[in-house]
Formats: sequence, C-alpha cells, structure tokens
Amino acid sequence: MPVPNMRVLFCFTILLVAGLAADPSLIEKGKAEERRACVGCHGLQIIHVQRLSRAVWDRELTKMVNWGAQIREREALLEYLATSFSEDKPPAELRLSAEGTARK
Amino acid sequence: MISRRTWVPLAAIGFAKTLRAQKELTVAGKKPLLVLNDFPEDLETPAEYFDRWITPNDVFFVRQHLPRPKMDPSSYRLEISGMVGSPVQLSLEELRKLPQTTVVATLECAGNGRSYYRPRMPGLPWSKGAIGNAEWRGPRISDLLKKAGGVASGAQYGTFDGADVGLAQTPDFIRSVPVRKLLHPATILALEMNGEPLPELHGFPARLVVPGWDGASWVKWVTKIVLSEKPDSGFYMATAYKYPRRLTPPGVPPRPEEMESIEGMAVKSFFTKPAREAKFKLGPVLLQGVAWAGEHRVLRVEVSVDGGASWRQARLSPQNLPFAWRLWSFEWTPRAPGYYLACVRATDSAGRTQPIEAPWNPSGYLWNSIERIGLLVEA
Repeated sequence: MPVPNMRVLFCFTILLVAGLAADPSLIEKGKAEERRACVGCHGLQIIHVQRLSRAVWDRELTKMVNWGAQIREREALLEYLATSFSEDKPPAELRLSAEGTARK
Repeated sequence: MISRRTWVPLAAIGFAKTLRAQKELTVAGKKPLLVLNDFPEDLETPAEYFDRWITPNDVFFVRQHLPRPKMDPSSYRLEISGMVGSPVQLSLEELRKLPQTTVVATLECAGNGRSYYRPRMPGLPWSKGAIGNAEWRGPRISDLLKKAGGVASGAQYGTFDGADVGLAQTPDFIRSVPVRKLLHPATILALEMNGEPLPELHGFPARLVVPGWDGASWVKWVTKIVLSEKPDSGFYMATAYKYPRRLTPPGVPPRPEEMESIEGMAVKSFFTKPAREAKFKLGPVLLQGVAWAGEHRVLRVEVSVDGGASWRQARLSPQNLPFAWRLWSFEWTPRAPGYYLACVRATDSAGRTQPIEAPWNPSGYLWNSIERIGLLVEA
C-alpha cells in the first residue's frame, strides 16, 4: 500500500478545513441569525462597519449573550461575522445619511 | 429591565427600523453625515464641516449608546439625591430660572480615531469626525448642588443617569464624575446648544457638559444626579471608557487593575483641508485644520511638508481658551512638483505635544497620532 505523501495530505486537510469554514450555507444561516437575533437592540450597520478577528467576534458574541441577546445559531453567526467582516477586509465604505434639516 | 414578553415586539420594531434604515436614513435636523450605525443613529461629521470655530448643530456628530428617550418638557424633573444636604427635584422651568453660564467647549468621543489603530478592536470605527465645538449654556452643576443643600462631607462622585434605558439586559448608560470636576465653574447642565434648546439627539432637555473630558462623561437626557463616596459600579464606569496606566504591546490587553477611567482628553490636531492624496497644480496651497487640548489651551501648531524632517508654525485662530479648539492654517508654496508628506502637530499649555504614534489600547481610545497626509503637486 503506497504511503501517502504527507505534504499532499497536509494541503488536502487545509483545503478541507478552508472549504468547511467558507461553507456558504453556514454563512447564509449566520446572516439570517444576525437579522433575527441582533436587531431587537441595534441596527446591523454597527456590526458591518467593524473589521475584527474571529477571536474578537467570538468575545463580542459572548458579551451580547450576557446582555440578553438570544442567539440560537452561534456557530453560524460567528462564521458569518468572521468571514464577512474580518480584519483583512477593506474598511467599510460609510454612506451618508439623507438631508434631514427640513425635519426637526 | 425588559422582559421576554416585551422582547418580541421590541425585536419586531428594531427589525422594521433596520429594514427602513437599510433603504435610506434620514435624521431629523441633520445634514448628510457619515452613518456608523442606523439604530440608534451614530453619525460622524465629514471633515469639510470643520471649517469654522463653532460646529453647527445640524452637522454635529451623534453618539448614542441606547435608543434615545422621548422627553416631555412639561413633566421633566431633575432629581438630585444621595450625599447632599436635602434631596430636591427641579423642573425645566426651575432650571431655566437659575443663573445661566455659557461655555464654549469641544466635545470629542473618546474613540474618535479608533479606525486608525492596529490591531483593530471592537467599537465604532470613527475616523476624525466624532468631534465638534459648540457653545453650551445652562446652570452650573455647583449651583444645582447648592439647591440640594450642598455636597455632604465625604461625597467624592456625582453619578449621572439619563432617561435612556438599555434593551434586554444591556447595561444602562450611567456615568460618574468626581466632585472636584463637578464644582468647576465651567461644568454645567446645558439646556442650550449654539443658542437653541438642546436638540433631541444631543440630550434635550438637559445634558451634562464636562469641558475637556471625553464625550462619554457628557451624559444626555439627564434625569438623576446622585452624590456618593464611590463611582457607579455599572459597565460604563467599571469596564468601559478606561485607559491603561501602563502601556502594553499592541494587541496585548493590560490587566484590569491597570485600567483607569479617562478624564481629560489628549492634545490633538488634524487636517480638514486638503483631503488625503489631493492633487494640485504647482502654486500656493492653503493647509487647514483644527487643534485642541482637552482641559488645556492650544499654544502652538506646527506643520511639516517633508514628512516631519522640519517644522514651521501654523497661524492660529484668535480664540485662546481652555476646552475649545482652535482653527489653524498654513500657507504653503511648493518649490517643485512632486509627492509631499504633510504632517501636523499641536502643543498645549501643559507642555504636551502629540506623539508620532498614539499608543495602542484595548478599546482604541484617545487617538492623537501626528496626522500625515500625502499631497501630489503637479507641474
């Protein structure tokens, strides 16, 4: 029986993990969870303008749970945040609010 | 505290607001501002509006920790209690009848500039515009405390609570300020901002003004002042708005006992014009900006157009006051086309000068690095 090439095995494992990490269905589930669990207290913009590591997003979720957020799909939500709003992503392009000086 | 029974309708309201905000956010009384959060609104002032000493209300930045309360001026009461001679409740009319003091002071969010720190940290990624300079008017806190029979011996802090409340188990926004600062003649309960009643977004009908201190101390919609020996033990005093006594390498959190509450703000300056990476034809260029120094006065602003190798003094606007920023300008005529690195730094009356790099800290507060902008001069 041929001995597996360790380098190939290592690369395969990395690709497998990366593939799982970027699972589109998990990310979609996380996105839906964000809309369900977060908007009771704040808008989504405050999330989407941040760029954080997975570890920091994880700590943020813990903080939010301690503050009463009812997160059911934590793994998916973390995956969505860590993938979509990671440190290596370019800064969010901030939009301008509409003219509101006619209304006081 | 909000129960699970009210959680569902609140979530529904929040969801509806979020959907609406995603389409378009219009904020009553505000010109277009940069949206960092849509509900509640957190809005940054674009630097182009910092071209005058007083920042108009309609472009003044907004920071809200919690959804703002609806305030009824006729039923409004300010309650002063705790370690005072005789607890008292004051109506808005009674507050207006007290001697009114006017203070021009710069208000800056402690996290202004957070977006420039690396590694990044949680929090609103402000650039330069979580700052503004306004004329605030209202009774002195010292006069309010006199109405309550004076501060009892041993009282060290005044704790301020606004009418805003946390959703779910989100902590209430409560801040404490040492009595020594509360008794300063410039510390007031503002009822007006730039000659108008406080706008709703800025704390109508009453907001604490703590000149030279971080914006978090300037509690909005104030309804309670409690005098006590110790600061409040809630999240916004025990955990948030703290800065390390001793610095750590970037990304390494200091020990909690090394953290202390932010008080006076740092010395700081930045460019408002031109924009980063602006292009010009060879000829005179006017560089402009603002500088401020917390509780101190801005004494000097210097500009470099060679990356900090040499510095020349900028011209300062005449207002030389503690608490308020100064505008600066510098007329520069490049000798030749090319790419230039322009820098600006301020020095204050306490002898503080801006650092090359503001030290990293876990919440990204007090960013005051010397600003550097690239400018391209074309033939």
